[in-house]
Amino acid sequence: MSAILAAQLGKRYGHTDALKEVDLRVEAGEFFGLFGPNGAGKTTMLRILTGQLRPTSGGAQVLDVNVVEEPLRVKSLVGIVPEVESPPSYLTAFEYLYFVGRVRHLESLESRIARWFDFFDLDENRTSLCKDLSKGTRQKLMLAAAFLHDPALVFLDEPFINLDPIYQRKLKDFLLGYVAHGGTVLMASHLLDIAEKLCDRVAVIRSGSIIATGTLNEIRGRDTDLESAFLRLVGA
Amino acid sequence: MTMSWLLGFMLKEEFRVHASYSSRTMFLSFPFIITMFALSIAVTSGRLLAYTPLTDAILLLHVSVFLYGLSVGAFGFLGRQYLERTNGTRNYIVAMPAILPMHLRRTFFGMFVRDSIFYVALLLAPATIGLMISIPVTHFRLTSIGILFGTALLSFLLGMSLSFLVSTVYMRSRTGFAAAVIGVSGIFGAAGTTRAIPLSWILPGLAAHQNLPPLGTNAGAAAALILLALGTVAGLVVGAVLLVPDRFEPPAVEVRDELPRILSRLRGFDRIGTLLGKEFLDLQRSGTFAKMFFSFVTPLLFLSFTAWFVRYGLQVPVGFNTVFYAGMVGFFGVILYNWLNNVDATDYLATVPVSVPEVIRAKLLAFLLLTTWISVGFVVTIAWLNADTRLLWLAIPIVVVTSTYIVVLTAYLTGLRTNSFLFDPGVLARFSVMSILPDFGLTILSFTIDRDLRFAATGIGIVLAVLAATTYILLKGIDAKWRGTEFGE
Repeated sequence: MSAILAAQLGKRYGHTDALKEVDLRVEAGEFFGLFGPNGAGKTTMLRILTGQLRPTSGGAQVLDVNVVEEPLRVKSLVGIVPEVESPPSYLTAFEYLYFVGRVRHLESLESRIARWFDFFDLDENRTSLCKDLSKGTRQKLMLAAAFLHDPALVFLDEPFINLDPIYQRKLKDFLLGYVAHGGTVLMASHLLDIAEKLCDRVAVIRSGSIIATGTLNEIRGRDTDLESAFLRLVGA
Repeated sequence: MTMSWLLGFMLKEEFRVHASYSSRTMFLSFPFIITMFALSIAVTSGRLLAYTPLTDAILLLHVSVFLYGLSVGAFGFLGRQYLERTNGTRNYIVAMPAILPMHLRRTFFGMFVRDSIFYVALLLAPATIGLMISIPVTHFRLTSIGILFGTALLSFLLGMSLSFLVSTVYMRSRTGFAAAVIGVSGIFGAAGTTRAIPLSWILPGLAAHQNLPPLGTNAGAAAALILLALGTVAGLVVGAVLLVPDRFEPPAVEVRDELPRILSRLRGFDRIGTLLGKEFLDLQRSGTFAKMFFSFVTPLLFLSFTAWFVRYGLQVPVGFNTVFYAGMVGFFGVILYNWLNNVDATDYLATVPVSVPEVIRAKLLAFLLLTTWISVGFVVTIAWLNADTRLLWLAIPIVVVTSTYIVVLTAYLTGLRTNSFLFDPGVLARFSVMSILPDFGLTILSFTIDRDLRFAATGIGIVLAVLAATTYILLKGIDAKWRGTEFGE
């Protein structure tokens, strides 16, 4: 079963084509990586698939829900970690997760929050307003919010970028366990070494078009490592 | 980086920010609309001046531009907000001193100069051009128009610089800010009510105007007053710039977790209750309650003062009764709704299953729950002070219906970006027509109450019924209009 199915997806900003007729299929239980240079269209793709942006052309189904017609339903099913970590300035870390849990109508909210506070060691920031948190702590909070409702599919936009090596390792282990238990991940990132350790399949996107899709071995091809293959594919 | 370079970049940024709300063409048509508006006022000024003497019209004009300057010059609040809170994916030059070798003071001064240029180009200059175009019909003298522009500019800059100074005091000390507000209010109160301070001390631009043609011929006194005005503006700006801390570190705040307690009280509201609870906390913790209170009460006080001044100062026998105040107060609701949309960026809401119309509805509910009592309280107080409580039965429904109408109208037209969309000439034109017409109707009807109460009450009843029906239609329309919009768009 496909967790994500996009057909002929296009997005135009003024005279610029951010996405050009992209087709994409991600199977349930897959760890799928989306890679590309800056401005290639990764974030646009993620925002369309999570109902945050309307495509100019084409369409997509996420967990069998049409993202154009039912964006709120998509958001209720999936978890999203956006590119910019921006929890609300005037709520505490605990209150933000409580707010997200209430919006999602979650049961046993306190214990769910406690689990993520424990996972990311957020207790010392419990009473700080989000505006006063470090970038890394805000990122942890956005990750906790994305997984709070135990979604079957998560969309992660550069989830590792603000985390220190300790939490990068912790998150990697968690994500591998999450996929092993049937969860699906679509991750946009620049960090190829992390991709090599996590992804089952990847797609390389350049100037709004997907130029290669496959397993890591298929993408690597005759190159010795993923980085060399990536640079060759994007023409750098 | 030299000041002119910085200013150039800031002006470019400001233009692009405003153009992004609609389009370049729409934004550039804004001054054209102002020109046409000024032209139409000038062409019909003969009728207007038959009822209002020129001296009174000029007084009102200076007071209006001064208040406008006061409302746009609070860079201490604005800059602090840029520095302190997240703006989603947006950032502004004023925040750059945090990461670049730039002085915060210079950047704040840049904001003052930028907005002075911006508002002159956007409003004062186009209005003056409108008056100049009217010369073949009105036969206004070019020198009189020039004097009007120059002296009104002084009143505008005075308002801006005073607001700049007081808001930068806020960056240093809340107590100092309260003292400054009380001090300024005291000066204005003393001038307005007891004439203990000459008006020319407060508005030297106005006093200079009164000494120049066509109102006077004392060029020497006018020159001295112009110098006084310029000196005051310079003094206030220098004071404000010196008060800007060159390294601003917003204080870290520790608070208790209050959201669960608030949400347990709002359980009956379902998901909108969750959004509402967050609105309450945002307003409380961001200090917006105080800003809302001041920004609402200040025009109310000004309104009271103007009414008092027209009736007793100018001896114009206009019946400003409780019903008149109720209509006016209701229409100030737009200020409060704007504040509700200025507390924090909403980009993070794109990651949870809530829609823009739901958040708009939560803000409307917050407005009604939080502010209705202020409006009603003001009307009751003013009725009691004027010994005019006999009309409260009519005034209270007016204030409730008009404030609900104006806020729902604003929400319908501008969504979550009120400040931005009101710079879109198309939106502004619709807003103006839909707010001014009923306000005008209620004002006229309020003046007829003492002549024929039954006629006035029937007329007001019809206006309120139309407003209530329109409110219902607009409320229903919010969903369709804003459903396709995303947070941060």
